[in-house]
Amino acid sequence: MDTKEMTKEEVLERSLARYKKERDWFKFLLDTLHMIPEPTEEDKLQMKLLDILLNSKELVIDAAVNGKPFIAGYFCNAPEIFNAMKLPWYMLMETPFLAASAPYLAEDIKGTEEIGLGSDLCTAIRLPIYYIETGQMPIPTAVLGLLYPCDGAPMLHQVMTHNKAWLDVPVYCADPPYTSDQRAINYFADELRRMVEFLEKHTGHTLDMKRLVEVCEESNRTYALWQEYNELRRAVPCPHGWGIGGAQAFAVSQCFVAGDPRCTDWFRQLVKCAEINVAAKKGPPGVKERIRYLWFDIMPYGWVFELMPWLETEWGAVLVMDMFGNFPYTLIDTSSEKTIFEGLAKRNLIDAPMIRQARGTAENFSADIRRMVKDYKIDCVIWPGHMGHKDGSAAAGIMRETCRELGVPFLHIGLDLFDRSYTTPDEVKDRISKFFTAMGLG
Amino acid sequence: METGLKSKALEQFQEVTATLINPSVRQWKDQGGKVIGYFCTHVPDEIFTAAGMLPFRMRATGSDGTELSDAFYSSINCSFPRHCFNMALRGEFDLLDGLIVPNSCDHIRRIYDNWKSQLQTGFVEVFSLPKKTGEPQVGWYRDELLLLRGKLEKHFGVKITDEKLRSAIKLHNENRRLLRRLYEFRKADHPPITGAQVLAVVVAGTAMPRDQYNALLKELLKDLEGAEGIKDYRARIMVVGGILDDPEYIEIIEGQGGLVVTDFLCFGTRLFWVDVPEKGDPIEAIARYQVQLRPTCPRTYGDQPRRIKFIKDMIRDFKVDGVIGERLLFCDPWVVEHYMNDLDLKEAGVPFLKLDREYILSGKGQIRTRVQAFLEMMGR
Repeated sequence: MDTKEMTKEEVLERSLARYKKERDWFKFLLDTLHMIPEPTEEDKLQMKLLDILLNSKELVIDAAVNGKPFIAGYFCNAPEIFNAMKLPWYMLMETPFLAASAPYLAEDIKGTEEIGLGSDLCTAIRLPIYYIETGQMPIPTAVLGLLYPCDGAPMLHQVMTHNKAWLDVPVYCADPPYTSDQRAINYFADELRRMVEFLEKHTGHTLDMKRLVEVCEESNRTYALWQEYNELRRAVPCPHGWGIGGAQAFAVSQCFVAGDPRCTDWFRQLVKCAEINVAAKKGPPGVKERIRYLWFDIMPYGWVFELMPWLETEWGAVLVMDMFGNFPYTLIDTSSEKTIFEGLAKRNLIDAPMIRQARGTAENFSADIRRMVKDYKIDCVIWPGHMGHKDGSAAAGIMRETCRELGVPFLHIGLDLFDRSYTTPDEVKDRISKFFTAMGLG
Repeated sequence: METGLKSKALEQFQEVTATLINPSVRQWKDQGGKVIGYFCTHVPDEIFTAAGMLPFRMRATGSDGTELSDAFYSSINCSFPRHCFNMALRGEFDLLDGLIVPNSCDHIRRIYDNWKSQLQTGFVEVFSLPKKTGEPQVGWYRDELLLLRGKLEKHFGVKITDEKLRSAIKLHNENRRLLRRLYEFRKADHPPITGAQVLAVVVAGTAMPRDQYNALLKELLKDLEGAEGIKDYRARIMVVGGILDDPEYIEIIEGQGGLVVTDFLCFGTRLFWVDVPEKGDPIEAIARYQVQLRPTCPRTYGDQPRRIKFIKDMIRDFKVDGVIGERLLFCDPWVVEHYMNDLDLKEAGVPFLKLDREYILSGKGQIRTRVQAFLEMMGR
């Protein structure tokens, strides 16, 4: 849509329309949960989560409407720094991920093709480009872009700087080294320092090192709890399935309230819920665990409700661990500025999920599979093979070899995490069923 | 398209380009020389020349399948690395003494992992390329070069002195100047050489000893002096895109009357339009050249304005009527870059055609039809 003829207010309203829809959806869910007369511990967990999401949305909308500084960025841009600088922010790929099964998703995907982005470009990149090009993305004070883990990410920011409505929005992208040694960590730490200078210059917010120490220490408490939670997921049966745990843990700790006491509080509740189930030898409600699988990627958020519950009910297949629920986060040594930035560099370059596997050489694909299969008594590994994860699909042979060595069946599907028409849910179910049957699982 | 050009040098270039392991490479090996394979123009081939080795730009010319590499790659991966790796698994790159794989794109960089897991080449290294053009990135690249120099020296027992590097830079710059002179001929109303022939010349340079190549290029330039120009074309075309090493692809465009007069390709202007500085520290000079001075491809963030300016300058200088944006399927950088090129060229009033393709030429009829329609749309 050409926004040239629109007033400033209309442009603002359009840019926030999707965002407000998502906020309203979360609000509806939260209000519904509040109506439960005697909420369970898991209900309370979800309420805490929704409260965090809602608050984050409100902060961004308030900033956009009232002309206050806010930024757009990513989970692996060291969100601990945004928190320490008290900067509201949103993740640039938030809509595709949060709008799980939203009615407009299919229409938006069609729109990406119509504007000329083709159909083989990662949907997670195509959709934000489409939102930018059609004026449906909140225009922030500044952007922290991402040049990794894939080829598509830098192109998203290249389009952003090309778009006339975004021309005045400054963008900073930290350059990711391909290696993971101390030289790489030092280089990336310097890139993060330059990111802070950029943020201070363009938002007027400053970084107070004492505050950053507090935030990092809080995030350390969060990650210690996450570790504890993952220990509980080793139990047989696994205390939670696909619906609780990893993805939410990632979102809360990296995308919304990194290093915030509310985040730690949510994890405390998560541990409590898992402990109750482990003590009672209970898994997800109504599921008799027969297959423990590792879903080695993001879940298919565009049609998640059509697949993941089916795996549990039809096959007793429980997602015991996934790429985003894995716990590799470095606890940060807060003794000096140097150790803090090195810790943040390591977290955001080497630990963050998907970045950890896809940014550099393929070692972590196999190393993580090895560790998770062993730690979580995994019966099979599923690499969904999202059409945008081209580096991962080029490492599928390596993953297959790793699984062969471990004696664990490996399935490479080939799907689109957002577009249900790429490989339909029925086709995916059929492939999984044949795989389970052929491997004698379930 | 009629060209009256008679040149033995050109024939030799065409033979080198049409053959994967050409006679020059065989001869080099037979004489005990080392050959280092590398992907991407952002890998500094001067360092291999300085080490007394033959830099060999990886291609999959002549590949006829991906039956072996399909176990490692998938159907959403670019056909170029799939064919390359397939040839490697078949043993067609066994003569390589080493291989350098940069993180140039998601598909190429996994060649490193798959190669290491399946093949026994003695020296396989990854080269970490930055994705921005700032001073810290020049520093990173410089350090990468120093590390690579150290590894090459240790593994092959050679000494890569600054003096040798300076001399390699001079040799490679001479090559760049000669290629630019070749392109000068194409500015004429009736260029004496076709785009397909030029592509063969450029590709050959990445698979021959550089001094031999320069000598042949000089011969070709002499042959072009006074050669009859091409008159029977319908439009002057510029081709923009990534790795394109098959002259037949250009022949198809030219077969419809679209004379390709310039380009913005990996095997094209991006390789030689700018020289490496010859003064100062040679490592620093190569790093600065690679990160800041030379034209970049879309993998470099923040440089799109410079890229589109380069394209527009070329359109003006080579009197281009229309631009063809070619792209290998599944290439994310080029699909988005062409999306922006389309918008920018539309604004500039320059016709633009996007063409997706596979690495091994296929769908010739479809390419013909689309180029014909493009030329007609341009009123040619």
